[in-house]
Amino acid sequence: MQLHNNALIPTSSVVQSELNPLQITGLTMDPTLALALQLILFIGPFLVLMIWGQRIQANISLGEVGRSLSRLNMLRDKSRQSLLSYVTKRNAKDPQLPKKMDDFLEYFTIMPVSMDPAGVVKKMDHILTSQDDRIRAEVASLMPDISDVEKSVVENMVSVATALNQIYKVIRHYYLLGKKSSNFYLLTQLQMIMPMLLKQADALVSAMGTLEQGQPLGDGIGPMAVGWLMKDKPKVQVERDTVMAETDYKGRKVVLLKAEGPKGSTGELDDALIKVLEGVHGDTKAIIMIDAALKLEGEKTGEVAEGVGAAIGGYGVEKFKIEEAAFKKGIPLYAVIVKESIIEAIGAMKKEVSEATAEVHRAVYRLIEQTVPENGKVVVIGVGNTLGVAQ
Amino acid sequence: MMGAELGTSQKQVIYSIEECEKCGLKNKRLFMQGDYVIKKMGQCPRCSSQLIISAIYAEAPIKG
Repeated sequence: MQLHNNALIPTSSVVQSELNPLQITGLTMDPTLALALQLILFIGPFLVLMIWGQRIQANISLGEVGRSLSRLNMLRDKSRQSLLSYVTKRNAKDPQLPKKMDDFLEYFTIMPVSMDPAGVVKKMDHILTSQDDRIRAEVASLMPDISDVEKSVVENMVSVATALNQIYKVIRHYYLLGKKSSNFYLLTQLQMIMPMLLKQADALVSAMGTLEQGQPLGDGIGPMAVGWLMKDKPKVQVERDTVMAETDYKGRKVVLLKAEGPKGSTGELDDALIKVLEGVHGDTKAIIMIDAALKLEGEKTGEVAEGVGAAIGGYGVEKFKIEEAAFKKGIPLYAVIVKESIIEAIGAMKKEVSEATAEVHRAVYRLIEQTVPENGKVVVIGVGNTLGVAQ
Repeated sequence: MMGAELGTSQKQVIYSIEECEKCGLKNKRLFMQGDYVIKKMGQCPRCSSQLIISAIYAEAPIKG
């Protein structure tokens, strides 16, 4: 191998066979320099990634989460603006209204301690009822002159805006915590959940428009199916925002329960059922619950399925009370569900869901014929938010 | 009246379906504020029976 005093010599002056194997694009290189270059080019990045890899990744995550957080902030502001525009249109007299609504969005609920879980459902029920009463009272005091439907719309819009505000604040908390401590794992977790959170936040903002217009939600399929069965029948209010009607089907007495529409309410179906079972309908042979249920990826929206158990969501308080009431009397619980995604459930009702009503009725009638003897009684409950659906 | 806007990425139109209880005549129109399912509307233009809103749903607008 020919060595040269100069590190780089043009190859034109060197015979091809004598070329240094470390030649780069026609230039001969000093082997020491070539080795150093090799170290820098191949081992350098490896060392950089070994030492600062996590920090680089954390910075990439930080940038991505930061951008998503800005979008979350924009969605939160949009929901707040929708709420403010709805309430100020109806109560323009109060200049303090925006400030009062902002305070309202910071409202929180502390769940009961569950270290000793016995009786925790009753405590939860009490706290959630207090929360509900407080929101209703606050809305009524802020806008005393609006209709019941409008009040229910404001209550629903406040719930959505509060949820978005909470999501934004919690994510911002972990983002700042991750940034402060350069915690790669925290930021990566945030980065992973952000697409799903943004999708849900988008759906919540869309729901604001649906609520404002008083349109039926995807979640309203249960009350809609029962509402049609109640049509033209005399109705009585059994609990707050909850109505009952009776009808007959092939010699069976059918007791119908749903939240009172068209205002946006889910009613108090658990207490209504307890009242019905403790009253003249204690000899009920079956309870059928109709509700929207979350579909799995790949399942079709609007698909109807039958099953056993209490079909009702929420914190579990209502589910617990319904299961307990049915268990005490030994009444079987049947469920008819309409499948949809969470985004479809909180948004405007889709055509496929609306058209499932006839299939739901067929399933309910089939269940009644199979499980309730002639002259027997059955309670049919429509579970969900009944906004935009009367009876 | 325009249908409500649903989300930034996915715009859908809300329709109300008016249906005659007797002859089954259906009329699909854009949703108007104050509409709700099982709301009694005017008379059926074909048989003069009661019209009722039988459904309100979101649908992607027809292109073209």
